Formats: sequence, C-alpha cells, structure tokens
Amino acid sequence: MTMKRREFLTTSAGGAAALTVLRGKAWGQAKPVKVGYTLSGTGPYSVGAGITQGPNYTLWQEQVNAKGGLLVKGEGRRPIEFISIDDRSEHETAVRFYEKLMTDDKVDLILPPWGTAMNFAVAPVANKYGYPMLGPTAVSNKLKELSLPYFYALLAQPDPIMEAFVGLLKDLKAQGKISKIGLAYVNDLFGIELYNSATPHLKQAGLDVVDTKSYPLGAKDLSPILKGFKAAGADVFLGLTYPPDNILATTQAKEVDWNPAVFLTAVGTAFPFYRDRFKGADGVMGIAGWNPKVKIAGAREYFDAHVKKHQKEPDRWASAFAYASLQILERCVGEVGLDRKKIKEMLDSTEFQTVGGPIKFVKGMNVSTPGMVGQWQKGEFEILWPKSRATGTPVVPKPAWA
Amino acid sequence: MNPTLLVDIVVGGLITGGIYALVALGLNLQYGLMRVLNVAHGEFLMVGAYLTYSLHTAWGVNPLLTLLVTGPASFGAGLVLHRLLYARVLAAGEAPEALESRSLLLSFGLLFVLQNAALLIWSADLKGYSYLSIPFRFLGSVFPANRLVAAGVALAVSVAFYVFLKRSFTGKAIRALMQDPEGAQLAGINLSRVHGLCFGIGIAMSAVTGSLISMLFELTPFIGLPYTVTALVVVILGGLGNVVGSLLGGLILGLVETASVYLTASDIRLIASYGVLSLILILKPSGLFGR
Repeated sequence: MTMKRREFLTTSAGGAAALTVLRGKAWGQAKPVKVGYTLSGTGPYSVGAGITQGPNYTLWQEQVNAKGGLLVKGEGRRPIEFISIDDRSEHETAVRFYEKLMTDDKVDLILPPWGTAMNFAVAPVANKYGYPMLGPTAVSNKLKELSLPYFYALLAQPDPIMEAFVGLLKDLKAQGKISKIGLAYVNDLFGIELYNSATPHLKQAGLDVVDTKSYPLGAKDLSPILKGFKAAGADVFLGLTYPPDNILATTQAKEVDWNPAVFLTAVGTAFPFYRDRFKGADGVMGIAGWNPKVKIAGAREYFDAHVKKHQKEPDRWASAFAYASLQILERCVGEVGLDRKKIKEMLDSTEFQTVGGPIKFVKGMNVSTPGMVGQWQKGEFEILWPKSRATGTPVVPKPAWA
Repeated sequence: MNPTLLVDIVVGGLITGGIYALVALGLNLQYGLMRVLNVAHGEFLMVGAYLTYSLHTAWGVNPLLTLLVTGPASFGAGLVLHRLLYARVLAAGEAPEALESRSLLLSFGLLFVLQNAALLIWSADLKGYSYLSIPFRFLGSVFPANRLVAAGVALAVSVAFYVFLKRSFTGKAIRALMQDPEGAQLAGINLSRVHGLCFGIGIAMSAVTGSLISMLFELTPFIGLPYTVTALVVVILGGLGNVVGSLLGGLILGLVETASVYLTASDIRLIASYGVLSLILILKPSGLFGR
C-alpha cells in the first residue's frame, strides 16, 4: 500500500470527483464528518495494515461519499473527511496522534490502528475521551480483562480460535486421518496466548502432541523445528504463526521434504498473497473468518467492490470485519447521530447485520462470530470449521507441495 | 551426539555464517578502513534483494545471474555516493571522532531515503518468489538447496575478495591504508580513490548478499536493519579492519546460532550470539583477530 507519510485527506479520490459535481448543491453547506485514525504506512505493521484495514477505510469513504455522504440523524448527509497519518508502527506516535485527534482536531469519530499491540496502546486513550473504537485486528484474551468500555473487538479471540482448531483436529483424528501433532509458536504475546489457549483444548480432546517448540519473532530458519517434527513422526503441523514466519515455515517444510497430512498455520494464511506466493497453496489450513462464498447478504458485492477499487482481493479473515466495523458505525450514526455516548449505548444493545455476518457485542466482545478454520482449495480459502459456517469439506491428507 | 545432528549443525551453521560473513565483510571494509559506520549498509542489501526480485519476477532472469547486475550497479552507486557525500565529509580533515559522528548522520539519512524509496517503488506488501526451493540430501540429512547455493556463492565471493586483497596491487594498497594510513599516503597511495573503491565494494557486497537472500526470505522495505546489526556484531567479533576476522567471525556466529537452535530452543539464538560476543570482548577486547 502506498500511504503518504502525512496525508490530510479532505476528501477521497472518488469523493473529490463527486464533490466537484455536487458543489453548490447540498454539499456546499454540509459540514464534513471528521474521522481520524492512524495506520502503519511504514515499519513492520505496514504489511498487515495495508492488506486488512487501509483498503477498507478508503473503499467505505468512497462509497459513502458517492451516496452523498454519511447519513447523520437529524442532519442529513455529510461528507466524510479523513484525518490520518502514518504511525510508523510506533505505539507512542499512534497514541500521541489519537490524543491530538480527540483534543485538538476534535474529530467526530475515530477508526482504530492496525494490530493487537497498537489497539492495546490506543484503546485507553479512546476510553479516556469517550470515543467508541471498533477494532477489527485485535486478538488477545487480555482484552476482556482490561476495563475498556469504549473498545469493541470484532474478531474471534484466541480461545474460540483454538477451540475451532482443536475441534477440527479432533474430528480428523476420530476419522483416523491424523494422529500426532508437532506444535510451534512464535514467542510473542500473540503466539503465547494462542499456545496457552490451545494447550487445555488439546489435552481435553486427547490429541497427542509429540513435540512443542517456540521461536522468536523474526526467526530466519525454522528448518531445525520442522526436521524435528518430521523425525518425531508428526502428521500435523500446528503453527501459531505471524505472516513472515508463516511463509518461512511453508517454504521450508517443502525444502526439508515434509508434507504432513495437515499443515495448519495462524496469521497470514488467509492473505491472498499467501495463495499467490505458493501457487495455490492447496491444502494449507489457517485461521479463517470469511470468504466471498459465505451466505451473507452483501458479501459478494463487498468482495467485488474491493477488487474493483484496489485491484486486490480482501483477505479471508479480518478484511470483511474491518469493513463490517465501518458498516456498524454508519448505522449507528444514521440512527443516533454523532453523540458518542448514544453510539456506545447502541453498540452495547444492538445486533448488527454486516458483510461479516451478524455481530453482537457483549462487554465489548463480538459473541456472534465463532473461531473458524479454513483451507486453500483451488484458489479459495474454504471455511471448514465449525460446520455451521463451512463452505467446504477438509481435504486430508493435503496434496503434495506445488 | 548422533552424526546426523552434527551434520545438521555444521552445515546449517555454515549456511547462516556464509551469508553473515559476506554482509559483514562489506561493512568492515567501510568501517575498518574509513571509520564510516554505514548504518544504511543493510538498506543496500534490501535494495539488492528487491532488484533481484524484480528482475526475476518481471523478466524471468535467473536470480543468480542478477548478481551480475546488482553487483556492478551497486558498486557504481557506491562510487557516486562516496564522491557526492562521504568524500566531502572525510576531506574536511577533522578528528576521527567528528568524522565518525558526521558519517553516521549521513548514513542515517541514507537509511531513511532508501527505505522510503523502496516503499514507494515496491510498497510495504510482502514480496517473494521460489527458487531452488527443493530438498537437497547430504550425509543423511536434508537441506534447502537454495540456502546451500546462496551460502556457497557468498563464501566464494568472500574468498575471492580475500585473494584480491592478498594478491592484487590495489588489494595491497587497501591493506596498506588499513595498517597505516599516513605511511601509505607517503608511499603514494591515493587515499580518496581507495576509499571510494572500498565504499563501492562494500556496498556491492551488501547488495549481492541481498540478491542471495531474496531467494530465501520474503522482502519488505524494512529487512535491512537486522543485517546491519548482525554485520556489526561480526565485525566487532572478528576485529575491526580484519578481513579474515570478518569471514571467520561470520562463520562462528552462524555456527553458534545454529547449534543453540538445535541443542536448546530457537529463543536462545540471540542470547547465545551476544553471549559469545561478550565473552570474546572480555577475553580479547580488540576482537578475535584485532590488533
């Protein structure tokens, strides 16, 4: 993604075109709704920010402004104006800028930055100034423990994700398709939380974990771990990974000639980039949440609009939830206006229909979306588990590496 | 210890170490000779990696052949950068400490310029390709073929450079300047020209390493800095201005890291490598081969 270091978007590119046409009519008088956020345009978070959040923000802005603006209760439509900067993947920069947005720019609404750690850093600021913040890329069991009434998490959290992982593995074991698991996790808050959530579920399900290994963030060689799992006779690779080490593990599994029946990794698998990088990546499983085949109103339209605007597909996990968070905000503002207390009340009490399916918050956590597992099959990341959400059935053992 | 494990550690260590050695050699040439601490060293590696990526994915050029482009191109860029930026700072004739801090500022600037240029050209999305991504069986163990090739080329370039230093006239001039800058100049060696040459070679080594690692890892505009840090560790480990030191230092660091990963856990890697560095600095503060 190409985000400028400091861009004050008075209007989006598409919005600007519409603006010239409509100037002097209703828009001439309508004061813009100021929406502030930071996203990482540079630094390690920029990869994820540019895939999952940035494209959805600009897509939504363009669509809403094309309709004449954001419908604000009692005021009619007002154009959306973004105020944003590149936080350079630095927590302090993000916190400072959000503070400035809320006190100095006095924005009407905020959108969250990308990633769990960033959301952790910014959520207390949003809470302090009473700005509802709907995070589509924050995954941590600790979110529940913190007292952050203005923070809302859209994704399934580590516990339900691991429940789904283990649910599928247990089912496969009952069918006699797998028996031994090699478990690797990235030694970072996220990996450790997933690991801690996975362990009791694995034990309860009676699954045999033959080896467990952790590795540091930024690891450059995972072949020792993979060779170890192979030697131990594991037929499941369970990798609680981040994108760079996910890709490394996938590359190296092939290079050390290991093709386990199930190759199940965490973050990054659902990125279309992953599929393109590994010639289809057929058979690889990972955390899922969404694909264009789900039977949800608007899902396909969202997919097409995303591809049309950005010439790239949304990812198959969190992208749709990033867009869903904007749909939710849009509906709230339409029904209660820009009074943030009222928006919060509505968030706490309403079930929203979004491109990611129904979403209902209980104590800030989306309780309607379960943890899901997907698998790349012929170019689509089919949802396998839970069965109620499935769009495909598991292919086990996975085909040979391409 | 079972023999396969030993093979795993030694070969794995040499693979990692070969890459470290080449990137460190380039830095050592700049820092050891000119006292220019080029913190943008890893950025040239990043640019080299992207060039190879683009040549390979856009035109299907064999990644190994791209070394013939990235090497000379970055050497030329090094010469120009030296003439435009560093030669002026170095010619000011100030105390070595002032030179170091000024050149440090310069290279920090370069780091940001290169990172942001890469961001504009290639974006922050992960980029990568598969080349020789196949298993290679060796003495009862299995290794990624592309890593063996990358390390082999890196070691070959390092050794070739060593021979160049030992045998050629220019190589002797470089060594003379490393040993005694004033004496070498009295003997008629053109300081500025040799500096430019070394700066260019140093950057070319970094870019060539980048071309090699593009076969192994995904690229982002931010992959450079960790390599600068590793190179710095190797340079200090092997001794400032010592070419053999960088070569062996790189291999030692690679072996220590790999052994620690196989024998304990991956998380120990950093502790082990910095532990060895600290130990050597305590026992021999000038580095393994430093004087």
